[in-house]
Order: sequence, then C-alpha cells, then structure tokens
Amino acid sequence: MASAEQPLPYAPRTSSISAFVEAPPSDSHRRSSSSVPTSKFAADMSQPPPRPARSPLPHGFNPADMDRLSDPNVKDKIVSTGTNPSSQHSSLSVPLPKVRHDPSLRRARKPRSQYPRSSTESHVEYILVASFDIDRGPIMEHQYPVAITGDEHMLAELMLPDQAHVRNQDWTVFFLHKDSSQEEDDAERQAKESRRARRRRRRDRAKGIIHESDDEDDGGEEDLDDDDDDWDDDVSTDEEPEGGEGPPLVYVLNLVNTKQDKTVKRGAVVKAMAICTRHPFLHIYKPLLLLALEEYFKSPVPETLSMLFNAVNEMDLSLMPKLSLLERHLLQASDNKDLFVEKFERMIQARISEETAEDVADQPFDASRSPPRRPGIFRSGTKSYIETHTGAYAVPRDTHEFESKVMYKGIPIPIKVPVAVMPETVGDFSLIKLIQNFSDSHAKSPQTFALHPHLTTNGPTTHPIIVLANALLTQKRVIFLGHNMPSGEVAEAVLAACALVSGGLLRGFTRHAFPYTDLTKIDDLLNVPGFIAGVTNPTFEHHPEWWDLLCDIPSGKMKISSKIESAPITEGLVYFQQQNPAYANFINGASAGSGSAAAAGQQTGDLTGDAAFMADILRCIANRSGERVVRAKWREWVLKFTRIAAAFEETVFGASALYIGSDGDGDGGGGGGDGNLGQAAMGHGYVWADEATKAKELAGNVTRIEGWRNTRSYYSFIQSYTVRPLKGLDLAHMHDRLRTQKLTPQQSKEIFEAFYNYVWSYDEICLLLSVAPESHAGLFYIALGLFHKDRDVRVKTAELLDRIAEHEAGQHWWRSLSRFEKLAYVRIKKEVEQEGRGGREGGVVSPVDSKRVSSGRRVI
Amino acid sequence: MGAAFSMSSLFGKLFGSKEVRILMLGLDAAGKTTILYKLKLNQTMTTIPTVGFNVETFTYKNIKFNMWDVGGQDKIRPLWRHYYSGTQGLVFVVDSSDHARIDEARTELHRIINDREMADCLLLVFANKQDVDGAMKPNEVTEKLQLAKLKDKLWFVQPAIAIDGEGLTEGFGWLSDNIKKMPKYGGK
Repeated sequence: MASAEQPLPYAPRTSSISAFVEAPPSDSHRRSSSSVPTSKFAADMSQPPPRPARSPLPHGFNPADMDRLSDPNVKDKIVSTGTNPSSQHSSLSVPLPKVRHDPSLRRARKPRSQYPRSSTESHVEYILVASFDIDRGPIMEHQYPVAITGDEHMLAELMLPDQAHVRNQDWTVFFLHKDSSQEEDDAERQAKESRRARRRRRRDRAKGIIHESDDEDDGGEEDLDDDDDDWDDDVSTDEEPEGGEGPPLVYVLNLVNTKQDKTVKRGAVVKAMAICTRHPFLHIYKPLLLLALEEYFKSPVPETLSMLFNAVNEMDLSLMPKLSLLERHLLQASDNKDLFVEKFERMIQARISEETAEDVADQPFDASRSPPRRPGIFRSGTKSYIETHTGAYAVPRDTHEFESKVMYKGIPIPIKVPVAVMPETVGDFSLIKLIQNFSDSHAKSPQTFALHPHLTTNGPTTHPIIVLANALLTQKRVIFLGHNMPSGEVAEAVLAACALVSGGLLRGFTRHAFPYTDLTKIDDLLNVPGFIAGVTNPTFEHHPEWWDLLCDIPSGKMKISSKIESAPITEGLVYFQQQNPAYANFINGASAGSGSAAAAGQQTGDLTGDAAFMADILRCIANRSGERVVRAKWREWVLKFTRIAAAFEETVFGASALYIGSDGDGDGGGGGGDGNLGQAAMGHGYVWADEATKAKELAGNVTRIEGWRNTRSYYSFIQSYTVRPLKGLDLAHMHDRLRTQKLTPQQSKEIFEAFYNYVWSYDEICLLLSVAPESHAGLFYIALGLFHKDRDVRVKTAELLDRIAEHEAGQHWWRSLSRFEKLAYVRIKKEVEQEGRGGREGGVVSPVDSKRVSSGRRVI
Repeated sequence: MGAAFSMSSLFGKLFGSKEVRILMLGLDAAGKTTILYKLKLNQTMTTIPTVGFNVETFTYKNIKFNMWDVGGQDKIRPLWRHYYSGTQGLVFVVDSSDHARIDEARTELHRIINDREMADCLLLVFANKQDVDGAMKPNEVTEKLQLAKLKDKLWFVQPAIAIDGEGLTEGFGWLSDNIKKMPKYGGK
C-alpha cells in the first residue's frame, strides 16, 4: 500500500496506542490478554529465524573445546576467535593477551560497534513539526524526510500536550508502535534500508569516507559474521524484540514552545518539534531540539527539519562498543570508570588499522611514501588519547558514557551517550526522584489503602512505592497524574516506574507505557490490558473506571480505584493454603479482603520484607548513595521476587516455569550421570535460612505472585531464561549458600568445585561476577575457597580466580579482593609451583560437561 | 459553644466544603478562558488559545466552584464528553458578535445537553461580547440557540462583556442560587 517513496514501517496506522487495539476487546486482564498471542511468542523466541543456523561443527572447531562448554552459544565465539578471518582487525599493535585457560576469556576478537558506521539504521528516523492552529486545534506542519503514515492528527495532538499554552516550554515523550503486518514491514524496511545505505554511501564517498562494507563481497560477509556473533552471545540485547513482543519501539522526544506574539491573531504561537528515534537514550537530543525549534520559529520551512535530521544522523557513535546484556549489567552496576575500557581501546585500534589500510589502498603507487606512523597512546589530563596521523581518538574518561558531538549550524554540540542501557530503560529519569516523591508524603501522614490482595501486600499501610511495584507486576492500569506540571515530568515518572519494576530483568513495561497521553487517546488506552500512562489532566481522577492505581505526583499520594477488578482466587493460592495451613492466615487478603485476615497479616509484621527494604532504600537515598545504588537495589528486589516466585511454583505445583534446569538433573533423582556435580551444586532457587522463614515469605508473596503469573512480564521472563549461559547451574543459589548458610566442608567443596568446573567462558565468568557484585563483597565468598580444608578445593579456587583475573571485567573484581585473600592465593600458587606442577594442568575437565551442552530446557 | 460549633459545621456542610463542578464550553474564541480568569483573579488577562483545558477553583457566594474551561476548536470538541460526568453546571459561552457560527454553537450546545450524563445539570449561557457592534441581543441568542426547545432543563441567558467583567456576577449569582436548590446540594 505504501508507495516506494514512503516506506514507513514504524509508523502506526493510527497512533501509538493502536498497536494494542488488535487485542480482542473481550480480553480481560488475564492470561490471554497479552497483546501478542502466545503461540507467536513461542515461535519467535525458540528459533531465531533471521539468523541462519551454523553447522554444529564449524570449520576448525576443536572438539576438545567441547568439554568445557556448558552453553552452545560459546562455541561460535571460540571459533570466531581462533579461525575467523575477520579477526584480522584484532592483530593490533597491542599484542593479544596471552590466555592460558580459554581463548575466549578475553574478547580478543574485534569488538563490535553498537552503532557501526556501515549501519543502515539512522540515529533519528523522522523529524516532525506540529502547531496549534487557532481555528483547527493541533495540526501537523511538516514531516521529514517523509511523512509518517497513519493518523497524523493524533500525533499532532500528542505533540501539543494539555496546557502547553500556560508554559513557555514543555517536553514530552511518547512511543510509536508499528502495527501493520510484520512481513510487509520487513520487506519495506529492507528496501528502505538498502536504499538508504546506498544513498549514504554515495554521499559519503563524495565526502571521501570509505565504509568497511564498501567492498561488497568482503564487507558483506563480515557483516554477516558479525550478525551471527550478535545472535550468539547477546541474544537478549536490543536486537531481540523486547520481551518477544514485536519490533523495537520508536521513541519520540518532543519539545513544545509557546511564544506570545502580539502581531498574530489571538496573541500566541504554539509549535512543537519532535525527534523519532529507536535509541532508548533519546534525551541526548534535547539541546538540539531546543536549537532547532528556535530556528524553526524563525524559518518555518522543511529545510530547518532537514538540517537537524542531517546533523543528528551524522553523529558518530561507531567507536562505542556493543556490550552483551550481562556486560551491560556489570557495567551499569559498577562504579568503576575503567570497566571494559579495553573494548573502547580495541575499537580505536581497529579503526586505526582500517584507516592505515585505506591509506595504503588510496595511494598504491606511491612507493616513496613513508610507512604509516604507528599509533601512540598518550594521556593528557584525565583523558587518554590514541594519536594517529589522521587525528586523535579519545578513550573515554568514564566507560559508562560515550562522548560524541553533533555539528549543528557549525556549532559542535557535545553529546554523552550511555554505554550500558538496560532493557526497559528509556530516556533520562531518576528512581530516587520517583521514590522520594511518593515516600515523603507517606512519611508525613501514612496513607491507608483500600485493600487489594495484589497490591497491599503489607496491609493497608503498605508503602506506596511497593503498591506501585505490585500494580506493575500484576499488570494493572497505572496512571501518573501531574496536574499543572510540565508533561515532561509526568513522562519521567512513567519511565522511572517502568525501570523500577523491570530492574533490567522483567520486560513488557515500556511497550505498554504511555509516558504522556491525554484525553484524545483514552479510548485506545482503555483497550490496552495493563498500562502505565502519564497525564496532566485531572479529569482522569474523576474516572476511576479508567485506572486501577492513580499516582498523583503533586500530592505524592496514590489511590487504588474503587472500581478495580477484585483478585480471583487462584489454584496456586488454594494449594498453598492447603499445603501450609499454619500460614494460611498470613496471606494478605486471602479470604477475599476480609478485614481480619488482613489485620492478621499486618500483625505478623513484615512478611514480604518490603517494609525493611523500603527503609533501606530511603536510608540509601538519605545518605546520598546515588542513583546507581538505588537501581541496583531495585534490581535485587525484582530478582528476589522472581526467585521467590520460582520457589513458590515449585512448592505448590512441583515445578516452575521460571527455573531452567538441565533436563538430566530435573525431578527424577537428580542427574544420574552428573556424578561430578555434587548435591550442593545441584540445588537451585532462592536460599532461605530455614523452612519456616521460607513459608512465611512465600505466604507474604503468594497473592502478588499469583497476580504476576499471568502477565506479559511473566511470560517474557520465562523466555529470557532460555538464553542465558550455564542453564543447568544456578550460580546465584550456590553463591547465596556460601554467603548465608553454614555449610559442611563437603557441601562447600561441591560448590567450589562446581564453580571451578563450569565457569570457563567469557560469558560464564560474567555471570559469576553478576551474582557476586562489587557492591556486595565481590569475590569474597568465592575466594573463601582458598581457605577450604581440602587442598584440592584451595588449588581449584586459586585457578578459578586466575581465570577471573584474566577476564576483562573480572580483573577489577580481582583487584578489589582483600589483601588477606590475595596472600592466601599467592601462598597456594607457590605451593603448587613447588610441587613442580604448573597451575594450568590442574584443570580437571569433567567429561560429563559435554552432556550438559545440549540440555538447556526450553519452557514455553 | 456547642450550638455554635454545630451550626458552623452544618453551614460548612451545606455551602462551604462542597465543591461544585462547573464545565465551561463553547466554540473557540468565545471568551471562556477570559471569563475563568476574570472570575478567579478579577483580572482581565490576555488569553491565548487553550491547548487542552484550564481548571481553577474559586469561591463565590459560599460555593466552591471547580470550574473547567475546555478548548473549543472543532477537532477537540469530541473530548468534551469526558468532562461531563460529575458536572453540576454547564456554562456555555457564545460570541454574540459571531453571527456566522451561531448555528454551529447551537448544534454543539444541544449535543452536550442531550447527553445522559448532563441530564441533571444547570445551563447558564453567557451571550458574550455585547460590546461589539452588531452583537446579538440575549433574546436573539436565546432564539438562535433554540433554548425554548429544552424541556425539563433549568437554563438562563446572561448578556456579558467578559473583558470588563460585566454580567459575570449576575450569571454566577443565578448559578449559585439554583445550585443551592439542587437535591444533591442539600436544597429542595
């Protein structure tokens, strides 16, 4: 339908909300209401269709490597390191680190760029301008490079937020979904991309820029390889459709200005300009929008849009390395400004060698030319540079941010792009601000909520932030209302709430978020089962039938709707009560909101631990611990919730969709063949001190777990479990046991040995680091193995630490290990040496491991 | 002392603490926002087109008015219905000098008051911009708006010049008197 000139795959037919309208209206808020049919879900996720499967034993594959692999994904990585010709770029002037144990420990291969120069994706896809026409209301004035298909009137309405006339400037954020059929869009997009790529290449060639992929054969192949690798090691990165629910969203950042102008009819001009991008860090464009909208007031012509479009799309982010989800998590949670700096350096080195090669190619006949100067690294101030004859490349001061610039009208605008963006993190927001907003008024005059089993898990005085988190977990309709506030602040609260409840683990929130919306979209909004919306119009408060939880930002109060659907009595709840009659009374609102049960629940104290958790969070904020710490703590809260939910499912139903064990060591007597894996290492799940504590905590959580178990985020969480390394082993469980339980030497031996035997590859070490974050004692508990009474365990732990120390991220963990433990390590190493055995022979690789390679169970 | 206390609380219950929600609608540029701020601040503001809505609370004759002023451009008129529920009074503002659009105003007005949710509400029409030459007189506005057709509806047309504040007190006086008589408000 769309003509070739207007291939607009991401433009919705109607509006941002329209994507959900497909869901049958009869859908309740339960299971079937996920906007994507589960079958499609499964198909999408279980086999990555766009990536051709590699042959199981690629050329040059060394079967010996097989032994150490617990995850098939790792295979390709090793292969690509050893045999892939694309690693030509990694033959840098800096010698590759010599790795004893596993060549993939350090990523020696060429790091990939998050936004390669050769990419056909533009940073910004559209620029829009709308204005408020005094006769007609909101209208779209210009769109560049082409018009977004769909209801541009709806878009114009979103761009002119309520009450824009009472403030000079306002920011809004909203999202667009694509809603036409997938195949059609893919075809369209491919066509568009190739056209765009050609166009750009032509343009760049004219400017003298050569692309890696200019050499069609070679470059093309390399690109393909890269893509393969992409799929292999970061299956759950941005490229994966979020939560398996569809293509990435288009994020819109919008600036609206109202200018009083006596010369025009009715005294004012209201105009808005928006940037549509698929980067979640859309806030980086704020300074540019400010300049460009100002410019547009002066010259309201399409050229003003094209100037901005070209400027932002020429921004070079190609030296920003691409990180896997695990790497992003590590970086995000770490304060270390040098974490993964090697990747940046390698990006630069690769660029330099490319440039050198190009130089040679440019002047093939100039024999007299002196050989290119070797790049040198130098430091100036806090910044280090790599200097070449073509200019200096800066290594970032802080690897959390990538610095670039946009040239707009000859002015360089500095841009800082976050390197590690977790899923469900869009734009710029502050969890601290959100939490404080709803905690301060609660602290002054505690709010009592009407009880709802899913929401008020600590009784009527449940902390509002917990009520909010519960509402999002159980897929309620949540509205943030900010009357008389800039819509940008409302949008920020919505984005913060998404990140809060996601913790970077759960998904499907931003996809159903409407950071700013208004009455014009209400009918579409109400077709979405479970949403998070930001509004400034207090009329929403007068319609309790539109929402389940209303969060009033100015007053800091939350309100549970009088018309909220009551929580059904579910099987899980009933089973739990039958199995744990002693704890049945603790269940919040179990007897359908009967006051006595709730009161009983309250009297028993903080079963969920949420009151203590919130107190801790508020203490952190008061101590100015910073956003990073608060985010990390919320991630732990979410992670704990998912683990408790898994434990609950296993307790009540005998099995959990949330735990992916290997098939072998499943229910039936535990891994007959896995002789090497001790009982302690076999365990999985959340670790409690004793059964009574467990039962209490489960009782406190039953209702919201049951509320969560049919939501989009629950289903997509199950999906995400299928794509992580070391499926058969629950490293967190083992680490928790070391941390919290008193173990017999035999038990701890089994755990240390499991670490030693299974944690080899780059990703596996990342995973281990993620369960032992720097903020929580780091490697301390793992290094306790250096003091185990069994000498074999001590030696193996030392070797495990070797592996970690050689790991790009692990080296930082190793460095912060206590002196005491380091000394023990040195002593053990010496002992081993004295016995004339090189440490590297110590590796006992279990033949059993190979069995586990194929045992990742998929649960759909 | 006890008597005084209960008297004042009764008084408060009847007139002070209750808020009435008033919805002010009309075609674009009829003068709604000017009326709102004249009432709220007793100032003549230079208003600009309303994007979305304005809402203000003010007390008049012991009644707390929560008054909504919603933008009037034709494209955004469909949104008006979302403001109906819980509304006790409709203030419909007409630009009396706009002969060309008086029929349009009539259509919109009838559409509003025929809505089920607006069945019980009072209707105050401001025949605004009486200062403009050739402006329709109140009786002419009444006729053009076909208010006589309205059955079971309490309505009142008040000539007004919003920028001077003329007629606003009278209009709201009528509104307050009738609100106090409404059953919801404790009146008979």
